[in-house]
Amino acid sequence: MNIIPIRSSCSIRVTLNGRPVELAVRPEALLLDVLRDRLQLKGAKRSCDMQVCGACTVLLDGAPVSACTFLAVEADGREIVTVEGLGTEERLDPLQEAFIDHAAVQCGFCTAGMLLTAKALLAEDPAPTRERVVHYLRGNLCRCTGYRKIVEAILACAHAR
Amino acid sequence: MLRPFALYRPSTVGEAAEVLAREGPDAALYAGGTEVLLILKEGLLRVRSLVDVKRIPGLDEIRRDDGHLSIGATATHRALERAPAVHAHCPLVAGVARHVANIRVRTIGTVGGNLAFADPHSDLATLFLAFDGVVRLASRSGERDLPLAEFVRGPYETARRDDEILAAVRLAPWPAGTAGAYVKFGVHERPTLGVAVALMRGAGGDAVTDARLAVGCVGPRPQRLPEAEARVCGWSLADLARHAGEVAALAARDVDAVGDLHGSAEYKREMTRVFVRRILLVAGARAAGRDPHEHYPHTIIV
Amino acid sequence: MSAPGPLRVVGRSVRRTDALEKVTGRARYLSDLELPGMAHARLLRSPYPRARLLGVEVARARAHPGVHAVLTAADLTWCEPFYGPALRDRPLLATDVVRYEGDPVVAVAAVDEATAVEALDLVEVDYEELPAVMTLEEALAPGAPLVHAGEPLAGHFSDLSTLRARPGTNICHQFDYARGRGAGGFAEAALTLEDTYTFPRVQHYSMEPHGAIAAWDAEGGLTVWASTQNPFSVRAELAKMFGLPASRIRIAVPLLGGGFGGKTYAKLEPLAAALARVAGRPVRLQASVEDAFRTVRRCSARVRVRLGFRRDGGLVAVQCDADFDVGAYADIAPRVIQKGTYTATGPYRVPNVVLHSNAVYTNTTPGGAFRGFGVPQIAWAVESMMDVAAERLGRDPVDLRRQNLLAHGEEFARGDTPVDGKLEESLSRVAEAIRWHQASAAGRAKGVAVMMKASVAPSVSEAIVRLHADGSASVLVSTVEMGQGARTVMAQIAAEVLAIPLARVTVVPPDTSITPYDQTTSSSRSTTMVGRAVQDAAADVVGQLLKIAAAHLGVPAGALAVDDAAIVGGQRRLGYPELLDLHFGMRGGELIGRGVVAPGRTQAPLGGSTPFWEVAMGGAEISLDEETGAICVEAYASVADVGRCINPQQCEAQDEGAVMQGLGHTLLEEMVYEGGVLLNANLVGYRVPRAEDVPARFDSVFVENADGAGPFGAKGVGEGGLVPVSPAVGNALARLTGIRLRELPLTPERVWRALRARRDA
Repeated sequence: MNIIPIRSSCSIRVTLNGRPVELAVRPEALLLDVLRDRLQLKGAKRSCDMQVCGACTVLLDGAPVSACTFLAVEADGREIVTVEGLGTEERLDPLQEAFIDHAAVQCGFCTAGMLLTAKALLAEDPAPTRERVVHYLRGNLCRCTGYRKIVEAILACAHAR
Repeated sequence: MLRPFALYRPSTVGEAAEVLAREGPDAALYAGGTEVLLILKEGLLRVRSLVDVKRIPGLDEIRRDDGHLSIGATATHRALERAPAVHAHCPLVAGVARHVANIRVRTIGTVGGNLAFADPHSDLATLFLAFDGVVRLASRSGERDLPLAEFVRGPYETARRDDEILAAVRLAPWPAGTAGAYVKFGVHERPTLGVAVALMRGAGGDAVTDARLAVGCVGPRPQRLPEAEARVCGWSLADLARHAGEVAALAARDVDAVGDLHGSAEYKREMTRVFVRRILLVAGARAAGRDPHEHYPHTIIV
Repeated sequence: MSAPGPLRVVGRSVRRTDALEKVTGRARYLSDLELPGMAHARLLRSPYPRARLLGVEVARARAHPGVHAVLTAADLTWCEPFYGPALRDRPLLATDVVRYEGDPVVAVAAVDEATAVEALDLVEVDYEELPAVMTLEEALAPGAPLVHAGEPLAGHFSDLSTLRARPGTNICHQFDYARGRGAGGFAEAALTLEDTYTFPRVQHYSMEPHGAIAAWDAEGGLTVWASTQNPFSVRAELAKMFGLPASRIRIAVPLLGGGFGGKTYAKLEPLAAALARVAGRPVRLQASVEDAFRTVRRCSARVRVRLGFRRDGGLVAVQCDADFDVGAYADIAPRVIQKGTYTATGPYRVPNVVLHSNAVYTNTTPGGAFRGFGVPQIAWAVESMMDVAAERLGRDPVDLRRQNLLAHGEEFARGDTPVDGKLEESLSRVAEAIRWHQASAAGRAKGVAVMMKASVAPSVSEAIVRLHADGSASVLVSTVEMGQGARTVMAQIAAEVLAIPLARVTVVPPDTSITPYDQTTSSSRSTTMVGRAVQDAAADVVGQLLKIAAAHLGVPAGALAVDDAAIVGGQRRLGYPELLDLHFGMRGGELIGRGVVAPGRTQAPLGGSTPFWEVAMGGAEISLDEETGAICVEAYASVADVGRCINPQQCEAQDEGAVMQGLGHTLLEEMVYEGGVLLNANLVGYRVPRAEDVPARFDSVFVENADGAGPFGAKGVGEGGLVPVSPAVGNALARLTGIRLRELPLTPERVWRALRARRDA
């Protein structure tokens, strides 16, 4: 038995924001760096770098993950959505609209992660209670807004359905 | 940023064991990465290779096995939260899984990774002690089962040898009629304290026939508290409601509390007393068919 | 010009102008910028709080493939290697000693971050550990080791030209102020209270850590893209260090991912510039969150307060002696200690005052500006003691405060701006919002606290408004957008004055080579100071338009009015593009308006009169888990006197955020050192508020009497909401339990200990 490890670049295929992408990544490459530095998708941010803050959140097959602590090679064959894939400028996602309307955006550094986390929540539970929203946001920090407007934005979006 | 490494992707436990035998301490197991990637980024751990066990088919299986609930090492917290077998046999586990860290960690983090990393501030090891958890370790020389209590030796330290893989953890479901509860407390990102309790009662009888009490996060490793458990046995629910404080005092006496960022040893010992009493009362109420909705700050009751 | 009609854009919660780019991920921050050929830097930081550098061996790192520059202090002979806004006490890289765990020793720039890390692995530093001073007690002890042995040079902050260090000690600056009979005033007091309170070391945790990208051009000019709140201060610092005229330096500021004061004054920019010079290419120096914890923090403090009351409850004398722990380098802390101590009398009428504070070096992360700028530390003590006084005097805490509040227009201190808000109204509003006069449910209690804070003075802000040929406008200001919504507010003000749609106004991002001078984006000053400059600049443009129209129509300008992008007079209506065509005789050319707000120096105690008083009051209702000591803030009401909300929704957002940040240091946050080492320089160990920590009932109330010094009667908001939080919660705790805590944060264990001590007593 001889198992060959990946030592250098290996090719991965990802459905990224709905489009197929193929690229070569090294085993130690983090998804966040690949998205930001190679694919120029700068929406996901690096902050705490420890899966506490949620600034780097992306959706992996619909579920939120921390791109800062996720190997890019693991994305092979999977679907990734970043904030850039959430809506178009002409047709924003309802969450994006709600975040604007409710002033849930201040410095914006947490915004992508908040939006994507909320997106995953609403996919799972289209009409969450306030408690559920707060529980789901446990891993998304915001130092500007005081959270209230973010929670309101998500709830407004949920109720709009 | 991660320093370069080689990534092994074995497709069987045997292959993984082979790699571990070859690489020894220069390899680290990678079951989700929520812990190992962090310490690699920090430079606290430096290895030549990672052995990705997530792709081993079946290693994430959660199933009923010979009267036990077997949880594969690469089952995620999210899977634990949702698996029908967990809901059927150890529903409390699903409830606790729902409150591990945050949604992203639950999506990626695995049961095996959590247990093998042995962060003292974690929920699962404490909870699983109350289910008489037994870990299955696999290596080239075969498999061995080790009670969780022996597996976790201290902070970030387990009985796993460098050439072994944690394959699964097996839990002994509580008998029908058992009332269980779990509480965690703390203001920090990770819990300051976790207590799991189970009260078993004979068919139709009111008296507690057997009990489990496990406390974690307050010390170097989670522990069962046999004297406190023994004290409860034979009690009626009314006895329990009256004398829960005695059990709590025993627990506080016996717990191995150490001071850290989360608090002093003295405080943790006292919190053990407080929360053992509280959770006993919750479990007692559940045994009586009530579901008390107790709310305390910085406290999650499952 | 006829009398202004109702406001169109100002006073409305218009969408933020940067909201769309932020929700779509298009917004660009420092870490999102890339330059061709850019190298990436990493720092080697001291593992010891204090040590002598016996040797720094970098030859292997220099030889490492992919490395563009390796710097040690010994390499920095070609520039002035010291910086600091108050005292130039900070070397680019440690020279002979390191002064805190995290003090940068070696800087590397390499082709990528991984290579830079590899190179740092090859550096060998030989340290000789020295005894360190980690606390105020240690630093102030007789014969304490000195964090700085020599006399540092004065920095560029003109107000601090009279720094008063105490040679031979760790005190780098002292502030003194007295009025009336000073301490002699206590002779008139029927009740004198004295106590000491402490405030912890806390970190801003702006989600975006500090960062800078520096590039030198072929002509020797320097451009730095920086995550900074005050580009002009950074420019001054770099000009001095690198011997360049200000005009050769360009500081460009993208959006900031939060600032909270942590990004004021030069932080990483000097090192990035030095690295870029040596590397011969652009260099990015991007801090991690762990680096941020080792870059700046709030000055912790020990505050001794003495309050003297007449029998009728009137405050007759206040004495405050505060020691601020400013860490290893002074940064702007000397100013922090002045500003914080200056308003130790709160918003109260006090005839006899004596204030003294010390800025004390310790071997810890440098202390600097942080939302509230010294005031939260002092207010924690003073406003806690106001409640103690109320109890001793048998008075209701709200009533006692009301009795002592300064009146509108009353003098705070000789030479300074009189009180510019109706403090009583704020107090009534907070009492109403927290339902002060209704009994709390069992197991709950309420507390209030009030404050007043001066903004920075003297102070200068300038603005340029350009009205383009098509009638759209550019607003050039150097206000940094760090989340507070300043760009939106500036656009609203310009759109209002110019009478054009908001969408026709573009606010240009700060760039010292393009946008005019602004002192700083801090001190809650932008709406007032820059806002007024924008208002004036826009009005300047309108004046020019009126003049052009008057000449063309042959009527006096006074007979004309501005309406919807046009000048109207009688039946005639001339749109802006048409007017510009008439003026220039072609389609092209633009009108340029200028606004300068520069109140200058005054006889006020801090050298300039505050442009406005930031008034904020808070009320908290709490419950307590007596067995664990865990406090739950069930309700919070924040009242801010903002004069007028330019954008009510954004004011609310600022205020809510300030309160939550205040709850952080009140209940959760504290940097913990052990053995000289910071234990929790990360978000696993350092807990900031989460969504679940938001009080179930949370009201943000604004007092709007249009009496502010800013545009349309507005004035500043942003810091104030944070300040009353700690004393309001502490007062509620005291009213609930009878226990008075003097140390923050009010962690469960700290409260539990106090409860137990009382039980045992």
